[in-house]
Amino acid sequence: MLASIDLWEGALALLLGLAALVCLFDRHVLRAAWAFCVFALLMTLAWAWLGAPWLAAAELVLGVLLTGASLFHALGAFEGRFSRFSFRDLSRLERAYPIDTFRGPMSHRLTRALLTLAWCIMVGAVIRIVMPAMTYAPSEHPLMLVAVLLVGTAMGAFALHRHRLRRLLAFNVLGAGVFLLMVGLAGTIEGAQALVAVGLLIAGLGSLAGALLIRRLRAHEDDADDEHMAVGGGR
Amino acid sequence: MIWRFGLLDSVFAPLAPSHWALACALVLPLLAGVVAACVPPRRTWPVLAVCVLVVACGAWLMMDAWQAGLLRWQWSVAGVTIALRLNGLGALLLVVSQCVAAAAALYAPGFLRLESPGPQARWLWPLMGVTLFALSLVWMAADLLTLYAGLELLSLAAVGMLVLSGKPAALEAGMRYLLLTLVGSLTYLMGVALIIGHWGELSLARLAEVVEPGAVAWIAASLLGAGLALKAALFPLHGWLTPVHQSAWTPVSALHAGLVIKASLYILILLWSILLPETHWAPRFVAWLGALGIVWGGLIAWRAQTLKTLVASSTVAQLGYLMVAFPLLLGPGVAPIAKSLAWQGFWLQLLGHALAKSAMFLAAGNLILATGESSLAGLAGTSRRLPLSLLIFGIASITLMGLPPSAGFTAKWLLLHAMVLEGHWVAVAALLIGTLLTAAYMFRMFRYSFDETAPRHHYQPLGRGMDAIALVLALAALVMGLLAHLPLALLQGGDA
Repeated sequence: MLASIDLWEGALALLLGLAALVCLFDRHVLRAAWAFCVFALLMTLAWAWLGAPWLAAAELVLGVLLTGASLFHALGAFEGRFSRFSFRDLSRLERAYPIDTFRGPMSHRLTRALLTLAWCIMVGAVIRIVMPAMTYAPSEHPLMLVAVLLVGTAMGAFALHRHRLRRLLAFNVLGAGVFLLMVGLAGTIEGAQALVAVGLLIAGLGSLAGALLIRRLRAHEDDADDEHMAVGGGR
Repeated sequence: MIWRFGLLDSVFAPLAPSHWALACALVLPLLAGVVAACVPPRRTWPVLAVCVLVVACGAWLMMDAWQAGLLRWQWSVAGVTIALRLNGLGALLLVVSQCVAAAAALYAPGFLRLESPGPQARWLWPLMGVTLFALSLVWMAADLLTLYAGLELLSLAAVGMLVLSGKPAALEAGMRYLLLTLVGSLTYLMGVALIIGHWGELSLARLAEVVEPGAVAWIAASLLGAGLALKAALFPLHGWLTPVHQSAWTPVSALHAGLVIKASLYILILLWSILLPETHWAPRFVAWLGALGIVWGGLIAWRAQTLKTLVASSTVAQLGYLMVAFPLLLGPGVAPIAKSLAWQGFWLQLLGHALAKSAMFLAAGNLILATGESSLAGLAGTSRRLPLSLLIFGIASITLMGLPPSAGFTAKWLLLHAMVLEGHWVAVAALLIGTLLTAAYMFRMFRYSFDETAPRHHYQPLGRGMDAIALVLALAALVMGLLAHLPLALLQGGDA
């Protein structure tokens, strides 16, 4: 029985899960963005593993390059004032990429956890009904298992976080989980591949739009802060 | 139910010019958008020329669909079949979308001249083009892939248009809308994954044949329903709607409230009628939420402080009218006559609301632009200075209130008739309460505007065509009620 478990697939699934958890729950937003890039590279490998080379190529271009660039743009990594050297200067780095310190009240976290639980039960029910084989030998489908984990935790993270970029990250991880589930449920038939390809394109474009919006909002907030400081200094 | 959506094999092939009309109706908005992004139109006539061409293509398709009953196109690209179909309902939705989009596009040059926005204004044109393209795709799609692509394209273009004004409030609301709509689409995709995982069909017509009621259909329908309800701003999930409209540009608001959210509602009822035919609880649940939405949206609009909040909240209530008709369309054991009446009333209400709501947003935008104030109290004195804008607002509100002879009246009459036949008394009560609340908040707005004791202040003169475009839309909603037999004959699709 153990021999039937593919070690490579298991390792890939494990790494995917780890990268996703870091990406979702690291309060250091820059590190989370890096974790997402690693996650997207692993997704590329997963598509290649599943026998969908076109999806792997799409993931590489849209997931790694476009979404990664969007995330770093949202963090302001391409701006002159945060040059390469500031990456080493930790105090400046923290000012540039603030750590998300938002902690919701207990009730907020509790309701979000309950909502996520309900969501996970629903996803579990989906798997149970559509893939009965999965329930009897879950360890034979490590990528499906990790897809369920991704869909559950990412929805929870999306509901829990208030930081805009972290919500964008959660959306991207959720998307990856849904795409994996799609291919896991339907196999790599053309229709499923086409749906995933459209989904990847939309996720990439959505991340780009989100990053541009975050950037503009940040600029407005900085202006407001400057004005506030100026008023305070004048007094 | 399925044959009403035109998910059948067609008898006649489309006429040769229809292929060209289809290509033109789909591609021309995109092309015109790209051209306009490069060379932003400063005057109305080039926009008018393109709009006339697009609407003419839509009208041709409608005539062909009217004669042939159903038009189908099918292509196979890399092993994936893409299918489009157009029946009377689709043609009607297509032409109304084109007319509303044309009105918004014609309104835009004058609006931009007065607003004098930054260089980002040129993006309005391609985004509008993509919106119309995606809407046409949604109305015509006959498989899940095209439906998904159209829906997603529509959402992204809508977010892009809504944040163009660049105000911090608009950006904040747009960010929220973007995240919610993207997550809504992933929920929708989960439902689709379940469908093709279990039944392995992407084509809607074949899916309708193989679907069997059971747990899979229920879970898929609830996933699809949750995602689409979020996108359509149906009652408990409507929180993003008002902030988004608060600081968006007027033509964009008109297009969004009139059409974009309706596309999600259309997909919802289309997919539910495939997955959950003749079920009791799911449509009942939607109807209860709709009844609450009618009351809630009406109360919020009644308490509104700004004109845009009033118009946007009224959308929530008006969508409630459509939601309470769900049990009549999808429920078990509904008499054919009641089902037929509800079907006609549902679509007439949707179309009338699309026209009236966009007219109302344009009129409200004119009032806000002219007075320079967005609050209701700032409208004081407009009855004397801006009678035409106020008249347009009034004509549009006739349709929303459902007074004769508007499309809103005919639609509500049909819906009420069906509800009384089936004994859905709660829905009847919700409809009547909604009408009273609509009258209350509309007349509250008029009370402010007829205040003659206001201090004189400066009024910005409006462009020549701006009121005329809104007037045409508002009158179209009125005339659709007077000539209701024409759209109703198209909706019925020949037999029945």
